[in-house]
This record gives sequence, C-alpha cells and structure tokens, in this order.
Amino acid sequence: MAMTTDATTRPAADLADVRAGVAAVRRRNRMRLALTLGIGTVVAAVFAVIALSSGAASLTPDRVLATLFGQGDRTENLVVFTLRLPRILAALFVGAAFGLAGAVFQAVLRNPLASPDILGVSAGASLGAVWAILGLGLAGAVVSGFALAGGIAVAAVIWATAWRQGLHGIRFVLVGVGLAYVCGSLIAWLLARAEVRQAQAALLWTVGSVADVRGDALALLMIGVTIGCLLVALVSRGLPVLALGDDHATSLGVRSSLRRGILLLVAVLLIAVATSVAGPIAFVALIAPAIARRLVDDGSAALTASVMTGAVLTLGSDVIGQFALPQFTAPVGIVTGLIGAPYLLWLLARTERRGSGRKAVA
Amino acid sequence: MSVPHSATGRTAGSLVPEAPAAGRSSGGTGRSGGRDGARRRPRRVGTARALAVLAACTLALLAIVAASLAFGVRSIDPAVVWQAVIGPDAANADHNVVWQLRVPRTVIGLLAGVALGLAGTLIQGVTRNPIADPGLLGLNSGASLAVVLAISFLGVSAPLEYIWFAFGGAAAAAAVVFSIGRGQPVRLALVGAAVTAFITPLIALVLLRDVDAFNQYRFWAVGSLTGRGLEVAAVLWPFILLGAVIAFVLANRLNLIALGDDVANSLGQRVGTTRAVAGLALVLLCGTATALAGPIALVGLVVPHAARRLVGSDYRWIMPTALLLGPVMLLAADVIGRLIVPNSELEAGVVAAFLGAPVLIAIARSRNVAGL
Repeated sequence: MAMTTDATTRPAADLADVRAGVAAVRRRNRMRLALTLGIGTVVAAVFAVIALSSGAASLTPDRVLATLFGQGDRTENLVVFTLRLPRILAALFVGAAFGLAGAVFQAVLRNPLASPDILGVSAGASLGAVWAILGLGLAGAVVSGFALAGGIAVAAVIWATAWRQGLHGIRFVLVGVGLAYVCGSLIAWLLARAEVRQAQAALLWTVGSVADVRGDALALLMIGVTIGCLLVALVSRGLPVLALGDDHATSLGVRSSLRRGILLLVAVLLIAVATSVAGPIAFVALIAPAIARRLVDDGSAALTASVMTGAVLTLGSDVIGQFALPQFTAPVGIVTGLIGAPYLLWLLARTERRGSGRKAVA
Repeated sequence: MSVPHSATGRTAGSLVPEAPAAGRSSGGTGRSGGRDGARRRPRRVGTARALAVLAACTLALLAIVAASLAFGVRSIDPAVVWQAVIGPDAANADHNVVWQLRVPRTVIGLLAGVALGLAGTLIQGVTRNPIADPGLLGLNSGASLAVVLAISFLGVSAPLEYIWFAFGGAAAAAAVVFSIGRGQPVRLALVGAAVTAFITPLIALVLLRDVDAFNQYRFWAVGSLTGRGLEVAAVLWPFILLGAVIAFVLANRLNLIALGDDVANSLGQRVGTTRAVAGLALVLLCGTATALAGPIALVGLVVPHAARRLVGSDYRWIMPTALLLGPVMLLAADVIGRLIVPNSELEAGVVAAFLGAPVLIAIARSRNVAGL
C-alpha cells in the first residue's frame, strides 16, 4: 500500500525512474543474449574443429582450418568435406531443430517436461522407422518418411485423446507415456522377429545417430530446419504473452489458441524432420531449452538461445560419443540420453524439495 | 493448511477409479462427499456380491486356462486336448504339443499373471497412486539392465540364471524410484519414466557393441510366455507364494493407508513398516514375473483398477480378485496373440500393452489426474 501512495505523490520522478530501470533491464537482457550466442558459437567452433581433426586420419587443427579455406590437398578435402563436415552440420541442424521445438513446446504448454521424448512422439517415429526397416525391408529416404508418419500419427492420437477442455500438460504427458509403451512393445516384437544384424541396425536407428546423414537428406534437413526457425520467429512475437496463460493472453488481445496451435504444429514438424533424418535423439528437446532459459535468464521462452544450446549440445554429445570409449563409437542419442535422464530426475527431485511440484509439473 | 489436506483427500480418493465413461453411481457414497481425506469413506460392496465376483473370476480363469490349452498355431481337437490332460500318451504328437508347449506357457502365464496382478495392487495401494505399475515405475527397466549386463559381461545364458539379476535390478530400480518420487502419484510415474530413460541408452550401448547379447536379450525383452520350461516355474513359485502371502497379510493395512498417512498413523499403524514390507513383496513379485515372462507392462496397472470396479475399495476383496484377474488378463493376451496373426504369434507382452494403454489413457483423462 505504501508503494501506491508514493507513486501517486511523486508520479513524474517515478515514471522516469521506471523508464530508466526498464531500459537498463532491456540492455542487460540484450547483452546476456548476445553473450550467450557468442559463447555458444565459440564452443560450437571448438567442438567442430575437434571433430574435424580427430578420427582415423587425424589432422592438425591448422590443417583443418587451411582445408576449410580451400588450401587442402585431395586427401584432406575428402576427409574434411566428404567424411566429417556433413556429420557436424547434421548434428548442428538436428540439435537446433530439437532445441527450438522443445522451447516452443515448453513455453506453449507451460510445462518444463514437454518434449517429444516424454510425449511419445519419438517412440512413434521409432516405431515407424523400425517397421519400415524390419517389417517392409525398406532402406534410405523411405524409412525417414515412415518415421515422419509414425511420429505425426502418435502426436495426432495424443492430441485427440489428451484434449479435454484445453491442453492440460500432465494429461499430455501421461497419454504420451501410455502410447510410448505400446510403441515400445511393438518395436521389441519387431526386433525379436528379424534377422539379428538387421535388428541391430534398426536398434541403432531408435537410439538416434548423425553419423550417416549426408547428401540429399542433409540438404533437406538444413532447408527444413531453416524454414521452421523462420516460421517460429514470425509467429512467436506474442509468445512472452502466451506463456502467461490463455486467459491473460486473450485479455491482452492475443488470439492465443490459434497462435499456440500454429506454433505447436511447426514444432512438431521440426521434430519430425530432424527425427526422420537422425532418429529420436533423446532429451535434446528437453534439456536445451532449460539450459537456454537459465543462460538468458530474462523470464522469456529463450527461443533463440535454445537453437544455439540445442546445436552445441548435440554436436558436443556426438564428439564425446565418438571418442569417449576406446574402439567403439557411441551414437549421439546414447550420450544425450545419459545426460538428459539425470537432468529430468533432478528437475523432479528439485520441484519436490521446493514443495511446488504440482505447479512445476502440471 | 487446507492445501495439503485437500491434496491427501484427492490422492486417497483417486484410488477409486473414475473412468469418464462410467455412469455408475451405486454405492459411491463417500466418493463425491467431503473433500477432507479423513472423512472420505471407501466404497464397500456386500459380501454376497464380492463372493459372486470371485466365483465369476474363478470361472473366467478356468475358461481362459482351457482356451490357452486348446488354441494355438497347430489346431488340435478339444477332445484330444482333454485326453492329453487326463492321460498323456508319449507317442501322440498332439499330446506332446499340449504337454511340451501349451502346458508350460499356461503355467508360466498363471504364475506371472498372479505376480503382476498382486504387484500392481500393492504398488497402487501403498503409494495411493492410480497410475502405478511395475513397468511404469521403472522396475522392468532395472531388471532388463541387470539381465543385459549379466548376458554380455558374465556370459549368463540360462533363464534360471537371469532370475537373480532380474531380482537385483528390479530392487535397485524400486529403491531409486521410490526414494525420489515419494509421495506424489504423478511424479512417481514420471520418475519411473526418467529412470527408464536413463537405463534405455545404457542397454542400447551394451547391445550395439555385443550382437550375441542382443540376440539373446531381444527374445527376453519382448515379454513372452514361451521359451521358459516348467523347470523355471518349479524354481520360482515359492517366491510368488511368499509375495502373495505378504500381499494378503497387508490387505487390511492398505485399507488404512488409503485414508491417508496421517489417519493411518493416528490409528496406530506403522506406515513406514508397511511400506518397507510391501516393497519387499513387490520386488519378489515383480522380479519373479520379469524373470518368468520378461518385462511385461501395464498388466499390473489394469488389473487392480478392474478389481476395484468389481468389488469396491476394500483391499481384502481386491487382493483375491486381482489374484484371479492377473492371470486372466495375461493368458487372454497370450491367447489373443496366438490367434490374431495367421501362422505366427504376437507375444503376450505386446498384446498386454495394447489392452492396457486405453486404460492408462482413460485414467489420465479422468478428473483426478487432470486436477493434479
């Protein structure tokens, strides 16, 4: 109450103070975002140079840079441009897609748990791909198409069954878990019936790997992700308002359900494109936005920063997976899964300690 | 102060399943009554009705056992099956099919079904959680990881040797999930999902490196009643018996826990002790079921809900009903799987997931969970 009286007695001075304060906060937020993006780029570049220089034929970092700028010999060109660069680009773009899609999901559904892994979309995509590989004996781009169809089908079923007078975060999650069980049991069944080497290839697909993304698939991925990012940027102008909830957004004149619907659709398509190329890389869509929000720390959905954190996280995980174990290359999905699951546990444990679990989860 | 009270009330109340389509209002006295957990009275049905339900479940069990013996890829005349059961003839090929294939999988289905049904009831009762199940809570994935490691690094190959690893893995996963997800129903399920999510890539890591281990594991992981002989059942039945005895002894205590921890404590019940004993029984039942049939999800979820709808919320009636309905559901899944694909089979675990998922979705859509 004292605040109100102060404000009415000294309106002019306060208004100037507030304006200065808002400007300062905005400056600080812009600085933080720029800093985050700058550091992210540097880290990504370091990982990229590590990935380009290490491996069976190891190059020194200065030779890598020289090759990148067109000074390499034939072998170096082959190693850098044909073998290693596509993998790095794939990791960056897939990670960006997952990071952005996760940020959109979490902001629109107002649920820090919302991600394709939890919602069962990844399981649907895996089932589609495994069925195409093992059930129909297909390979190549067609498999991606089936993965796309599987992921979208499961998303549609979740939508249809979880929608009851609005989108309730927790109902989404539970329905997704239930469908993930159905998909998982069907995948197990398909794996048990197939020839063992083929089944192992299908298992690799369900884990998610960027090792063999090149050529047309890579071009498709890069174009698709770029378009998706632009669409989100276009539609998401009202997103900070949307995060307040339907009622607030509507009262502020934002047509919330339409925008939310479009954003979710773009996010689903981003996930579908990335998953169809690289498989369901676990938890990037869950963790990347969380890291981004913490780095930017302005209470927004941190969409731009999520693109960066997703890309860096995926590339870093892929580098770790390639060189952490002797004589075995772990696919990127295993590394992100092992990083992401403890984060999920921590998220759940922390919300309990605070005693605000219901809010954070629901 | 009012917030935690209404919270416990809702959690306790959610033990009574409220599927959206249900139009039943008979006997639901305390269900929509006071919001205070202490005053919420569970729904009771008469002894006569409960006994009738038990009799009907017994008949259903006998029918499904008969179906499990009678149907299969090889069509055998029911009369021949009956002859094989009462007087087996070693020279008769049909008799051999019945005794070497169908009797073992029926016995294993009976044991695993009993274990899963009782385990699901125990978990749901002890945690007051309508969405608890050995699969959802990560116990299956713990058992799976232990089995994979045993196959890959210790060279274990016989199902009889898997058992102990399945036990250990299930116990470890249960300890982790219950210590982190304690209390809140939804969080328990989510922690289970998180633990599963951590274990899945570890399993994949081992399996991608070791094709032989993958080749063994994939047949276990699908959740099937075949491939285990009667000798495995002969070793494992005492564990299920012990778990079942504990479950029945705890039934009345679960009735008190359903009223909320505070009420149960004030009535002189040691809730912590009950939980610990129930945890022991759970590991016995889940571990054995997983060792017998592989990781089968959602049977433990569906059976207690079905039992509650039939006999009300008194655990002294729910336990025996779940004991009968567990094998009914698992064997039904198995029989359906045998008949649905021509010249081939869908494993029981796959069919059970298909039967269980709609129930899980119905629970998720019900008011109790949505209100959390």
